Amino acid sequence: MRRMILMCMLATTPGAWRQPPDVRIQIRALVDAGQLGEAERMARGGGVVLASLLGDILVERGKLAEADSAYQVALNADATARRSAEAALAELALERGNRNDALRRAETLASEYERTSSQFSADDHVAAGRAFVILGSRTPDAARSALRAFDDAVAHDARNVDARLRIGSLFLDRYNSPDAKAAFNEVLKQQPRNARALLGLSRVADFEGKDDAMGLVRASLAENPSLVGAHVLLARFHLEAEHYDSSSAEARAALGINASSMAAWSLLGATALLAGDSAQYAAALAAARRLNPRPAAFFAEIADAVVKQRRYGDAVRFAREALALDSTSVRALGVLGTTELRSGNLDAGRATLEKAFALDPFNLWHKNTLDLLDEMRGFRTVDRGRFRFVAPPKEAEALLPSLAPLLEAAFDTLARLYQYVPPVPVRLEIYSRHADFSVRTVGLAGLGALGVSFGPVLAMDAPSARDRGDFNWGSTAWHELTHTFTLGSSGNRAPRWLSEGLSVLEERRARSEWGAGVTVEFLAAYLGGRIRPVSRLNDGFVRPRYEGETIFSYYDASLVCEMIEQQNGMSAIVAMLQAYRDGLETSVVFARVLRSTPEQMDVRFDAWLRAKFSVAMKSIAASDEKGSTGGAFVSAVRAGADMLARQQPDSARETLLRAQAMFPEYASSGAPALLLAAIARDKGDLRGALEQIVRVTQHDETSLEANLLEADLREKLGDVAGAMIPLQRTTWIWPYDVGVHARLAELAARIGDHAVAVSERRTVLALNPTDALEARYQLARALAEAGDTAGARTEVLRVLEAAPSFERAQSLLLDLRTAPTPDHQEDSA
Amino acid sequence: MRRALALSLSAGLVAVMPAGAQQTHVLVISGLGGTPQYRKAFIETAALLADSARARWHVADSSLIVLAEDPALDPSRITGRSTREEVASAFLRLSRRVKPGDVLLVFLNGHGGGEGAASRVNLPGPDPTAADYASWLSGFSRQTVVFVNAASGSGDFVPVLRGPGRVIVTATKTAIERNEVMFAAPFVRGLTTGAADADKDGRLSVMEAFEYATREVANAYEAAHTLQTEHAVLSDSALARTVAFGGARPSDDPRVVALVGDRQRLETDVAMLRARKSGMDSVTYARELERLLLLIAERSRAIRAISGTP
Repeated sequence: MRRMILMCMLATTPGAWRQPPDVRIQIRALVDAGQLGEAERMARGGGVVLASLLGDILVERGKLAEADSAYQVALNADATARRSAEAALAELALERGNRNDALRRAETLASEYERTSSQFSADDHVAAGRAFVILGSRTPDAARSALRAFDDAVAHDARNVDARLRIGSLFLDRYNSPDAKAAFNEVLKQQPRNARALLGLSRVADFEGKDDAMGLVRASLAENPSLVGAHVLLARFHLEAEHYDSSSAEARAALGINASSMAAWSLLGATALLAGDSAQYAAALAAARRLNPRPAAFFAEIADAVVKQRRYGDAVRFAREALALDSTSVRALGVLGTTELRSGNLDAGRATLEKAFALDPFNLWHKNTLDLLDEMRGFRTVDRGRFRFVAPPKEAEALLPSLAPLLEAAFDTLARLYQYVPPVPVRLEIYSRHADFSVRTVGLAGLGALGVSFGPVLAMDAPSARDRGDFNWGSTAWHELTHTFTLGSSGNRAPRWLSEGLSVLEERRARSEWGAGVTVEFLAAYLGGRIRPVSRLNDGFVRPRYEGETIFSYYDASLVCEMIEQQNGMSAIVAMLQAYRDGLETSVVFARVLRSTPEQMDVRFDAWLRAKFSVAMKSIAASDEKGSTGGAFVSAVRAGADMLARQQPDSARETLLRAQAMFPEYASSGAPALLLAAIARDKGDLRGALEQIVRVTQHDETSLEANLLEADLREKLGDVAGAMIPLQRTTWIWPYDVGVHARLAELAARIGDHAVAVSERRTVLALNPTDALEARYQLARALAEAGDTAGARTEVLRVLEAAPSFERAQSLLLDLRTAPTPDHQEDSA
Repeated sequence: MRRALALSLSAGLVAVMPAGAQQTHVLVISGLGGTPQYRKAFIETAALLADSARARWHVADSSLIVLAEDPALDPSRITGRSTREEVASAFLRLSRRVKPGDVLLVFLNGHGGGEGAASRVNLPGPDPTAADYASWLSGFSRQTVVFVNAASGSGDFVPVLRGPGRVIVTATKTAIERNEVMFAAPFVRGLTTGAADADKDGRLSVMEAFEYATREVANAYEAAHTLQTEHAVLSDSALARTVAFGGARPSDDPRVVALVGDRQRLETDVAMLRARKSGMDSVTYARELERLLLLIAERSRAIRAISGTP
């Protein structure tokens, strides 16, 4: 068990502070407004007193050699800002890869602070804090001292925003976003337009996965267009959204202000690499090497960028390159360890993350992942066919009998469709706690997804990880396996929208009821212009603007893929994946394979979708920003439901049939078919009820109750074999219902399908039913009926061993006594 | 280990002993529902218990008392209103009917409150406390008493009521567990259907019903992904294994009596064989096990043939 070292705010004591000279305030105001040239001019005119401040401005402008000189002046003159200059020189040394010099300077400053901090000004406290931050790269606990020093600075001068900003950054760098947010907000109370605080809040929002990160960084740049950190962050956001042109432009904007920004060169290099621009990549790398002959940070940035694009092999390569230059790069160790885990190499991944955790014990992702790996030691690994399943023993027992054959069939289907065979075994990890799945995927709890594919390694929630009926675990597994094929055949370069779209499309192809279907909300959002066009669809996944946009984007992407297949054939899909594998950009892929520009695709898809849902769109109102739904269809459904509640079934039926005609495809929650089925059933019209309920069960993958109703109706109508189908569907929604499996076994026995009866009886037993002896007895009966006398005898003896008085089992044993002696098993029931 | 084994065997033997002339008496007390949903649930649980008492356990009408907040809700089963006076009167009536060695089952259901000896279940009018029930039970010192309080916050009934010849079951561990409980339904289901019959001997011991209900409750909470807020308690477990309900009435036919005795001996042989399993080679064990089980099965078939049952 690893314990996190918790950051805590140290008590601060109010102290004296002094007013900085007016000229400093003026210069800092210019810097904050991004007027670096003017700030530099003023600082140069300030002489030795302002030498350190001049150095800071020169660093902002990338004039590092001149900054060195300015700081040196401040040091030699023993000016008031001497300690700030020392801290700045230490940071510059670290940036240039001169780690020993950086640590030496930081140690000197820290040591002075420990001895004589009572004589330190607020800026000196900040300088000491900066020194401790540097020392934190070697001694994690130094972060506490850094925090203490920054707090002391605030105590000396409550208006020292630099100290508060550094407190915020320190917290965020130690994964404590709430305290970071509080620190940045404190700055904004004093200076509502402070660009660095807005940038800090943008980083917090990004850390917390909030959708206002982009807005905040833009707000920051609006206040200070020269803030290099904001340009770099914006470039990163664009990169993650696969907008390489925008990313490159932002990185260049940063370099235009500060040509010595390693972060900006790293982003430019990452963008160039992902965009396939090898010349630009080489240029960026050369620039990074000029700044630091061992540019580990550059390679760590590249590794981080490629892993986000699911290029795991490249990520390992770049992370290793970073580590060859700096074995203490926690970022590179993190990418390497996580990627090793995602590649199924658990031992190596654990070892790497152990190293990262030793260097940075504050890292929540690494700690959570290592804890999960400890827990996974109790999981069971089962090799079946082309798959390796890793799951808690109870889940393995319950799920594998149906999951293994499903995935084998999926493998064959997908291999044929995509003309690609991934390496085997494909590893599927199943988690019975959603938090564990979430940690496995992103290192933190709280992920909304149900499953994830890292290529040949898949992970997903077990049905028990969610509430009953929450999701269809069969379609989820199929979805994730599809990624294995689409990522594999595209060399992990398929954009998110295409990979997700194909996965959803394959769900629907696998079973008519699987996969997302059209909803009122989707059409309302589409009509309201809230669904992105094809050319910007990736943003719907990476930077959703409102709650629900990601879900809409999944469905929308699947429709785009459906259209492409319909109009250009499956071969076009395969060709697109291969084109991405060859490093082509989306616009080129569209031109080459679809003979369209992205804008033409936007128009094409809009026309196709409007034609596909032309009937429904007439009765659905566009939704606004709040996502409210309306229109004739919604009104009719509501009216019908009201009539039903008022015991007016005939009027309700008429209204609901009218609603159904308006939106015939609709099968989700509140569908007219559900109510119409209930009305028909209550009137004794079983066939009418069945006709309606199948509209739901054949198009809604989580309609548990509707499937149970269909099974009842079919059984009452004498369709025993037909009744089994909806029951089997329910097992892909909630496989733990002993009653459903027992019923399936009974129905199977009635139609003479003894193989299914035996299989279902085995499943009942695997589910550890309350009455395990009865379940085993029923298995014995099913085996006997299937002609497996030896198996039946083995099972019935196990029953009677535990319960010799069980008369029905005794009778069965007597019936079986003439059979050959079975192989007795060691364990008892 | 050997000592523990001997205890377990002896408990098993007692459990299969026929009840003989022993009679069962049942008192069902349903408290105030408060809402239609609870009122309905309490009545349904009481009805299931009453029907089983009559049909499966052969309890005489005069030994079956069902009290509820409103007799009009189920007049064919509810014999009186569950006021403090009616409850006291029911205990008094039953104390006059019981014989030494009989079994009295008291099933109390509703919403609980209070603590310690003042713990209670909400009934129409003044609520009797655990101390009151203890006082009423004092008239049954020569009978085996099974007292089930399936209400929320019922845990403190155990220390107040427990004693020789008594099995006390509560839905919760303490009086503090006051959230809605789901114990009553699975416990009654376990006691009245075959689902809880772990040893498949056709009789439901209190222990079997208790274990079944606690499993069902735990499963329900697990399936709902909610923290389990009720933890049932039973005292004492040894006696609870020996008190059972249901099963065929013992036959007077000497052939059947002989076969039953023979079968019981064979079942004891199986128990002893299982005890030796770890020291035996598996083939010998299996062969001997099957031989004994076939002999038992043949006895059962012979009994059924004589009795004319299928």
